[in-house]
Parts: sequence; structure tokens; C-alpha cells
Amino acid sequence: MLKVADLDVAYKDVQVLWDITFEVNEGEFVALLGANGAGKTTTLNAISGMLNVKKGKIEFLGQDITKMPGYKIAELGIIHVPEGRRLFPEMTVRENLEMGSLFPEAKAKRKETMKKIFEQFPILEEKKNKEAGTLSGGQQQMLALGRGLMALPKLLILDEPSLGLAPVLVTQIFNNIKEINNEGVTVLQVEQNVVQTLKMCHRAYVLENGRIYSQGTGEELLNDEHIKEAYLGI
Amino acid sequence: MEDMWIKFGQTVICGILLGGMYSLIAIGMTLIMGVMKIVNLAHGALVMVGMYVTYVCATYYGIDPYIGMFIAMPVLFLLGCLIQKYMINRLVEVDSILPENQVLLTVGIMLVLTEVIRLIFNSDYRSVTTSYSSEAIYIGAMSISVPLVIGFIIAMAFTFLLHMFLTNTDLGKSIRATAQDRDAAVYMGVNSSKITMITFGLGAALAAAGGSLLLPMFYLFPDVGHLFTAKSFIITILGGLGSTWGAAIGGLIIGLAESLGATYISMGYKDVVGLVIFLLVLLFLPGGIRSLVKR
Repeated sequence: MLKVADLDVAYKDVQVLWDITFEVNEGEFVALLGANGAGKTTTLNAISGMLNVKKGKIEFLGQDITKMPGYKIAELGIIHVPEGRRLFPEMTVRENLEMGSLFPEAKAKRKETMKKIFEQFPILEEKKNKEAGTLSGGQQQMLALGRGLMALPKLLILDEPSLGLAPVLVTQIFNNIKEINNEGVTVLQVEQNVVQTLKMCHRAYVLENGRIYSQGTGEELLNDEHIKEAYLGI
Repeated sequence: MEDMWIKFGQTVICGILLGGMYSLIAIGMTLIMGVMKIVNLAHGALVMVGMYVTYVCATYYGIDPYIGMFIAMPVLFLLGCLIQKYMINRLVEVDSILPENQVLLTVGIMLVLTEVIRLIFNSDYRSVTTSYSSEAIYIGAMSISVPLVIGFIIAMAFTFLLHMFLTNTDLGKSIRATAQDRDAAVYMGVNSSKITMITFGLGAALAAAGGSLLLPMFYLFPDVGHLFTAKSFIITILGGLGSTWGAAIGGLIIGLAESLGATYISMGYKDVVGLVIFLLVLLFLPGGIRSLVKR
């Protein structure tokens, strides 16, 4: 579904990604793992067209999207739920959700999708007329997920959905994401919360210093000596 | 004693009515500021160009200014879109130019617009007289000029329509979303460069509307724009940068303050009152009216 090949990205003269190659198949739950500054968010931003790619190719459903502007990539069905949620703080919960469904297909099903999201996250229905900036961190993350789902995405890109959440909320959000994936949405997730993510995803890639260091199924990586040492502290 | 109250009532009402038209111009500026994060110092020049379009319609084609404004608005919308797309956007794309320096381009645009108009119309003071220019409505013993009343009503109608547009349509919501978080809007599929262009056009059209409404009361000359740039800048600071409702209320306050200043201090010092308010706001309420209402 998504194929990234030999991707190099640089901010001005400073190169941050080298030869990134990976793919995500339809229906899969793939994780990108790594420490701070490994290049995870940069990889996601390159996919969703937010920065210029130096070298390499990104393909989605057979179409070259390497140089496509961000809004067109969203229209193709790649929806990015960014790090730090990035809601529209002075718009209500309902308006934020509506902003997720701008394209004709999603707009036609706006009410229906919103009803489904309110079933999955009842707290959002309760607060639908409140401004997004007044929600708690967990509620904001639910809203960010819900806003992404409103677009009826083919590929949902999640950048650290567990950031800044209490452990009990992390488990809840992860369960929500698993549920979304089980309903057929392909998920590409970046995480620093390595153990929980590896237990839940189908496959994972580990980034180190801007390169793909290793890859495998969740189980394989959980048993990998280097991963154990570097990320699990065992 | 009674005379004093009549004078006071008349001053207050006229001030608020005038302020409604200032609001409309300032809302245009605050919209542009919200989405583009720059102060549009060419805003007054856009008001001035809009006034000239209405003036030409009125003087050469005999079109009433209140109808002429519906010609000036689309013309200025187009002009605004072109300025944004072919001039400001070019600058935004260059990484080495800091965003705070983009504002210098708007100064250049202001100069070009002013001098082009001077070339065509020279520096003469002009005015539009209509049959109702000098008519007045009487409330008790207070007399209120008719163009003020009509101008205020139309300005409030536009403010209301704009509010409905921004809260009830996908395009309007996309404008607000882009102002609040441009990248997040792009993630949701908003074409931010298109939105920026439309916003600039919309701001210019509102400037033209406000200018046209003031035309029956103001002298028109190429440099009149500076006055409106200063006023709308003060109003947007007073209202809180980027806040539409703040600008609407701020406009009324400035109109009122000017009117009181003209009556009780001196006609020549009426603009000083606005500047004093500007300084007080910067000193004691830097977030503007918006910071009072917010949470």
C-alpha cells in the first residue's frame, strides 16, 4: 500500500535521514520505533508532504506522491494525526471533527461517521460544544484520533499518540487504535513506548540515527538482544 | 443642563455608528493577520482604492455609493487575491526571508497603490455628494446624520454575514482552522495557499466595503489610506490580534472615543484619543479585549 524507497531528507545542509526503505501493506499495523531524534517524525512528515525530500521515492497505492503537496496527499487517504495532537484549540469539538471531513466522500458521510466516533468515544459527545483547548490531554488525543477518522482514511499515520498521557490512558488509547486497525484501517504509528507497541503491532522498523537499524514482527523484535538492551532496559 | 445631555447623547450615538464602519475595515485586517501572521500595512491603501472605485462609479456613472460598493468589493477581492498570490506568496516561499520581514513588502504595496492612484487622479480632495448626504434623523432633540445610520446598518449586516460564513461553512471553518494551526489544517486536507489567497481577497473586499460606506462623510485623496491603516491597526491591537469579535468591539470603542474627543477636547485632537487608548492597551492589556473574554 505504502512504499518508501531510499529516502534521504535534509533540513537545509543537515541531513537527518539516510536510505530509509520500508513498506506498509493493506490492513497492517506497522510501528516505527526509535529514540528521540532518530528521525521518526521526519519520516512521517516526508510521507505526508510537509517537507522536501532530497532523494528517494514514496509511493501510495501505486501512485508517486514524493513531490505532491500535503493537502493532495490527504485527499488520497493518508491522514496524519500529528505529534502533540495539533487540534484547532478555539474551535469546538464538533467543529474539529467536521474539519476532518472536508473531502466530498467523507463529507457525504459526515453525520454517520461522527455518530460512530461518538459511540467509540462517548466523552467527545458529552463535550461536543466545548472548545478543544479546554479538553484534558487524554480527551484531546481522542479528539485528534476522531478527527483523523472523520476523513475515512485508508492509511492512518499516528505520531506518538501516547505522548504526555497517564499510563492508564495510554492503554486505553492503544486499545482504541487496535480497534480501529481491526476495523480495516491500515495504521502506521511512531512510538517511544516500545514494549506496548511491539506487543500490539504486526511489524515494526527500528530507526537509529536516521537509518533503519532493524525490522521484524513485534515478537521477533521483543526478543532481539539489542532492542532489549537499548529500549527495554533488560 | 438638558442641552448638555443632548450633546452627550448625540456624541455617543454618532461615535458608535462611525465605529461600526471602522470595525468592518479592522475585521478585514484582523482576518489577514490571523491567517498570514503579518500586519498588512497596505490595508488602508486597499480601503482607499475601494473608495476610488466607488467614487468613479458615483461621479462618472451616477451609481449611488451604497450600490457602488457592490462593484468595489469584487474588484478589491480580485486585487487582494492577485497581490497575495503573485507578490506576498512569492516571498513566503523564500526560506531566507524571515516572516517578520514580509511585512516590509506590504509597505511597498501601500506606496505603489497610493502613487498609482495619485498618477490617475492627482492629489485633489474629492467628495461624493448624494441627495441624503446632509439629511438627518431626529431622535428627540438629537440629530443623527443619515449616511452614518445607513453605513452602520450595512456594516453590522456584513459583520453578521461574515460571522455566519466563518462558523457555518466548510470554507469559513477552513479559514479559522488555518489561522489556528496551519500545518494541522494541511494534514486535514486544506489547501492552505488557496485559503490564504481567499482570506486576503476577503480582507480587501471588507476594506473596500468600509471605505465605500465612509465615502459620503470623508474627503477622498490618495493619502487617506494611511489614516485607515493606523485606525485599523489600533483597533486590531485593542481587540486582540486575529480576533474578529475583538475587532468589531474595538472599532466601536475607537469610534466612540474619537467622537467624544472631537466634542469635548477638540476636533483637531480626535485622532490623539485613539492613540492614547492604543498606548494604554499596550501597557495594561497587551492581549486586547480577546484576553478578557478567553477562559
